[in-house]
Amino acid sequence: MKLSVDRLSKQFRNKIAVDRVTFNLTEGVTGLLGANGAGKTTLMRMMTGILEPTSGDITADGIPVHTEEYRALLGYLPQDFGYYPEFTAREFVRYIAALKGLDKREAKRKTEELLELVGLSDVAGKKIKTFSGGMKQRLGIAQAIVNDPKILILDEPTAGLDPKERVRFRNMIAEIGKDTIVLFSTHIVSDIEHIASNVMMMRDGQIIYEGAWSDEQGDLEQFYMEEFE
Amino acid sequence: MDLEKTYDKIYRYVYFRIKDRTIAEDITQETFLRCINRKGNMQVFEIKYLYTVARNLCVDEYRRVKTETLPEDYEEAGAQYDNLEERLAVREAVAGLPLEDQEILLLRHVNNESMGTISSTLGISRFALYRKLKSAEEKLRAGLEAVDHEK
Amino acid sequence: MKNDWKESLKAAFDAPEPGNKKEFLRNIRPREVSTPRMLFQQVQYIRGAVWIFALMIMIFALLGSWKQMEETEDLIPVIMPFLAAISVLETRRSRKCGMIEIEMVTRFSLRSVILARMLALGLVYLFTVCVISPVIAAAFGGKALLTAMRILIPYLITMSISLQVERSVWGRKLEYASLAIAAAIAIAMFWIKNTDSALLLGYTKVIENCGVLIVLVLAGITAFEQWKTINNVEEFA
Repeated sequence: MKLSVDRLSKQFRNKIAVDRVTFNLTEGVTGLLGANGAGKTTLMRMMTGILEPTSGDITADGIPVHTEEYRALLGYLPQDFGYYPEFTAREFVRYIAALKGLDKREAKRKTEELLELVGLSDVAGKKIKTFSGGMKQRLGIAQAIVNDPKILILDEPTAGLDPKERVRFRNMIAEIGKDTIVLFSTHIVSDIEHIASNVMMMRDGQIIYEGAWSDEQGDLEQFYMEEFE
Repeated sequence: MDLEKTYDKIYRYVYFRIKDRTIAEDITQETFLRCINRKGNMQVFEIKYLYTVARNLCVDEYRRVKTETLPEDYEEAGAQYDNLEERLAVREAVAGLPLEDQEILLLRHVNNESMGTISSTLGISRFALYRKLKSAEEKLRAGLEAVDHEK
Repeated sequence: MKNDWKESLKAAFDAPEPGNKKEFLRNIRPREVSTPRMLFQQVQYIRGAVWIFALMIMIFALLGSWKQMEETEDLIPVIMPFLAAISVLETRRSRKCGMIEIEMVTRFSLRSVILARMLALGLVYLFTVCVISPVIAAAFGGKALLTAMRILIPYLITMSISLQVERSVWGRKLEYASLAIAAAIAIAMFWIKNTDSALLLGYTKVIENCGVLIVLVLAGITAFEQWKTINNVEEFA
């Protein structure tokens, strides 16, 4: 599958948050690196159809972003995602499954499967408000992939996780990325080094670097610091 | 219909008959493709119909290959080691049954299909199916007791 | 005895992981989900309590009519508001901040899911009304249409006010505001029936004269309020 972003721009009243961005993504994990305010979240919100672009197109194998068909292919984990505090983990995933158009029976089965996958089976019946940050993020992943999406967009998914949680999370993403287009944003360089085969760097609404990053190309952190100083 | 679960059932059934992972998957997918209702976008998969098509495709495959394919050696996915002894015993007992009996046990106790679906797939009456199912279960029980006695 | 072996039996027939399952299934899943199919899907998710309540009302109405219990004709209009309240509560749950982002990205937009469930519920209530109106009318010798209106009007009033309240600032804080409103309307209906005969006579007269008009106007207001509620969901984006 090819996810195409073509000359995408977003202008708020007095600021251009995303400036004529163009790129294509296929299966695999792409890391979106950039400082806060670089435009990462705005870009992602346009790619999920939440935000109307000022200009430009986003399509997945020709399917436009604002269609139900596109959304059917999509999984999304926003930054600081909210939840109904009274929901249990199980209820939450099933709720999202209903919105994603799964039959109730299928939703039940998938929910158990995914909660097991992300290691939340034994707390499936507990309320989300009792969860730690890492557990919430794992829950977030579960709801994002309940519909077996072809495109997975994660906004700062590792922020606030302790090192052990972060490793676990990265492994999950790497596994999912084998047959899914994964785009995750971060300002932590080591996230990228560990799981992304493709890197995009963003500054002031523009993509200033896009491409694969292998060890031979030198220290990513150094490059990043140079670009962003 | 739970598409993924149905896929698993059909695949498991086809693999039982073909014992080759790649071919089994091809046949499974071919089965689904043939059952797509071409009326607009609505797809209706009737489990009975799927089994029938799968079975026929398996028969076609036998004819095409004209030899018996040997069972593949593979690592049982996610093997859990509790009950390993029992599992091996059951596996051995099942392997000792005629293929027809194995098929009925698979459809009834593993895929959990209704008697109606199974009788339609196998092309026999419900009454005949009931007899054969009881007979297969009895043979399995006898086989397990035999394995027990061997210890 | 068979249950002990079920797991082992399953293992005996285990097949190796298929290589291409997820991709294949993604490709053959219907690209578009038809509206009837979507309605059917969402109906599965409507909580049992809602169905039970509707069923209980129907049973009560039919039983009451059969036994010629006088209270039936008067109590039904009192109960109907609660039916409305429950259906509004279904939609209420979806509107807390923070969930909105995730809900907007799913295949079905939140508004369509709400609409689907409201529609499904509305159809059930309509069916309920159609079934009990002639029965009550036959039992108590009133006109079926009149009876239907006496039932529908409290329902629609409750719906309209509840939806309005749901969107107000203080309404958002009160978890069960719509239930409170239903209670208020129910009490009002009850009071009208039991205390002031003059008021009752006046009420009945008004219904007989412009009942149809009233129902249409209230239905219009209800539909408008529902539409506004649904549209408000996206103001959080």
